[in-house]
Amino acid sequence: MHFEPNSGDGAFRAEVREFIRQHLPPDMARRSYICSQPPDIEDFRRWQGILHDRGWGAPHWPLEYGGTDWTAMQRHIFMEEIYRADAIDYGWQGTHMIGPVLIAFGSQAQKKRFLPPMLRGEEIWCQGFSEPNAGSDLASLRTRAELVGDEWVIHGQKIWTSDASEADWGFFLVRTDPEAKPQRGISMLLVPMNAAGIRIRPIEALNGGRDLNEVFLDGVRVPCENLVGEPGKGWTYAKYLLEKERTASAYLYRNKRELEKAKQIARAEHTAGMRLIDTPEFARKIARVEADLLALEWSVLRILAGEKNLHDADAVVSALKIRGSEMQQRVAELQLDALGPRALRVFDQQDRSAEVIEGTPLWPSYVPGRLGQFLYARAATLYGGTREVQKNIIARRAFGL
Amino acid sequence: MDFNLTDEQEMLREGARRFLREHYGFEQRRAISAHLPGFSVECWNSYAELGWLALGQPEDAGGWTCSFVETAILMEEFGRALALEPYVSTAVLCARILERCGNVEARRSMLTAVVEGKVRLALAHQEPGGRYDARPISVVATRSGDDFVLQGWKSGVLDAPAADHLIVSARLEGEENPALFLIDAAAPGLRMNAYPLIDGTRAADVGFEAVQVSASCKLAEGSVVDELLQEALDRATLARVAMALGAMESVVQLTAEYLQSRVQFGQPIGRFQALQHRLAEMFVEVQETRSILYCGLAHVDAEAAQRSAMVSAAKYVTANAARIVGSQAIQLHGSIAMTAEYAAGHYYKHLFAFEKIHGDADWHLDRFARHAAV
Ligand SMILES: Cc1cc2nc3c(=O)[nH]c(=O)nc-3n(C[C@H](O)[C@H](O)[C@H](O)COP(=O)(O)OP(=O)(O)OC[C@H]3O[C@@H](n4cnc5c(N)ncnc54)[C@H](O)[C@@H]3O)c2cc1C
Repeated sequence: MHFEPNSGDGAFRAEVREFIRQHLPPDMARRSYICSQPPDIEDFRRWQGILHDRGWGAPHWPLEYGGTDWTAMQRHIFMEEIYRADAIDYGWQGTHMIGPVLIAFGSQAQKKRFLPPMLRGEEIWCQGFSEPNAGSDLASLRTRAELVGDEWVIHGQKIWTSDASEADWGFFLVRTDPEAKPQRGISMLLVPMNAAGIRIRPIEALNGGRDLNEVFLDGVRVPCENLVGEPGKGWTYAKYLLEKERTASAYLYRNKRELEKAKQIARAEHTAGMRLIDTPEFARKIARVEADLLALEWSVLRILAGEKNLHDADAVVSALKIRGSEMQQRVAELQLDALGPRALRVFDQQDRSAEVIEGTPLWPSYVPGRLGQFLYARAATLYGGTREVQKNIIARRAFGL
Repeated sequence: MDFNLTDEQEMLREGARRFLREHYGFEQRRAISAHLPGFSVECWNSYAELGWLALGQPEDAGGWTCSFVETAILMEEFGRALALEPYVSTAVLCARILERCGNVEARRSMLTAVVEGKVRLALAHQEPGGRYDARPISVVATRSGDDFVLQGWKSGVLDAPAADHLIVSARLEGEENPALFLIDAAAPGLRMNAYPLIDGTRAADVGFEAVQVSASCKLAEGSVVDELLQEALDRATLARVAMALGAMESVVQLTAEYLQSRVQFGQPIGRFQALQHRLAEMFVEVQETRSILYCGLAHVDAEAAQRSAMVSAAKYVTANAARIVGSQAIQLHGSIAMTAEYAAGHYYKHLFAFEKIHGDADWHLDRFARHAAV
């Protein structure tokens, strides 16, 4: 074992930091500070374009598809810097999810058609997996597609489709063989979101956001070449996609940045004439979160460094997801605890600027957005496989239970 | 000891539960919440007719003299329904200050108006950045002949936007102790920036720009002010504990019903032991909350130090329970609870707000520790 970082990593970090400093528009950084999750779609498009121009549109892709040949550690450093600067993370559904699947299983034509605009941020993707009666039990999904001539005709309903109303394309899991065993009869289709027969209903979320949607598919037709890989293999691709970025589920970079924000608030807020951060109680509260976050960081580093783990890889990733999603909730809670009574005010989507009235900072600039993010964080233990489902995976994969 | 309700108390509870079931269903509440003033004036009027605004008020103001238990019973039902009316601000917090203040005329006229449902009141005490240790520092009352002129800002004043009068704490220029004033919300120079809070209620930042206040509006001054405020705030806190209890009980029930009906993997998810245990943990929290509420109620008229300590214990225990119950309710429901169209998330929001109002869990734990350590 040795714990020293590689010699070039410092210079790499400096290069990334300098690039972001020069190219990240401050207004975009402010919006992202306020509401980092999910990012503003227009900002996302612009920022993806900026990164792509530098050749960093998808660092985790192979070089030949426009990625980089960075080491795992360099990618780690890159993401740290992205979050540290309140820049925008990559589109999860695009470069993180469907991109790698197309690279691994897509046809040449699909790669040529879809990867370049994805890299440039010109086409936004959404993920149509969940259905009203197929949440944790995803294999019970009922949306079906039938080959009629050389077109797939799709009927059914999806729910919780993030960004569906802003997306250009969606990758959908559909049942193409009703006779086969539940998981074997599922295929993956690429669907333009403006296709005839698609109806999208935004769902108002608890924090007022409208990024979740119901998607109704009523006789939607797509050409047969929009099938990913082979029919009946959709389940395999979905698993591949969900496990692709194994350390991403720790939300490490977000958690570190959000902890910074919590500390920033605790430095600015006062109680009984003291800075909140200087009170032993709150200092300890921060310390508890910080220590747990350090453990999570080193869990990520162990995976990045390619440690041979005793246990099944899926179980290890599930552990990351459980802890990483819980940390999101704890860090958000820490922020609101630091805000005290200020935490209760709802700022609507437009009214995000802080109010300073006659020299009295009634609402300092670190207040707007925190409550909304806190509410959103409750979803972290639900999406991408609920905490309970992750625990089931651990019990099964690590211990054969 | 007898923890069972008397027949009258039972009737109060049944009446409240029935009324709120009929007038405060989830969809009705959503509609009420969507429009200003953010609560139902109709319901408010009914509360007056039903005598609920008279609970615990002095007889000479038309009140119904009874113990604080009755208030707690009613508040539990309000919590169950997530009622939005400014009951605590008006009929518990401000009414109590008025009842015990030295201004006889203000006490009589205002309390009568409260009982009749004619006024709504809000306490403007918290200041910008002052967290929970608000001592009036920025709002200053300057003498001007017999009268006063108020200057400064209050922040996060609960239920202020729809209040007819505010009780305002202010530093008397040149003196050590603060004073309390009753101020018409429409007074010239009074500025109100209103906004919604997470639980659907409304609050405001209130600015005083040379607001003229006549001497007759001074409710109290000197060393009594702190105790007056503290006692009333303790009762308001306890009323909110009772609301939180009702909200928790209700959301646990909702969750149990959901676990029975939601099918995944070919069976109701309530068959999974992992979820049964979560539900059981929520149940334990609710049981403890009811117990600590009773402990608080038993001490509501105790001497100041003990009363405050017990109220703090109640707030702290309930705040912890509220976090656990609220977040588990969302987790057990899955994504449906993340939507504004479903009730579970609204309980979560209410319970979250509860924790941050009138002192958060840390603040109350500290206050309790000061008592427990000696
Ligand atoms: C913000 C957000 C964004 C999302 N984005 C997308 C998206 O873009 N695309 C998409 O397809 N989906 C998306 N989802 C959906 C998400 O993946 C599902 O909601 C999730 O899989 C859970 O399904 P469910 O909500 O139906 O809960 P259910 O499956 O009904 O679960 C309810 C409860 O039962 C528990 N449970 C279920 N099965 C078991 C078991 N076997 N053992 C123990 N406990 C169990 C769960 O853990 C949960 O606590 C998103 C959800 C959210 C909240």
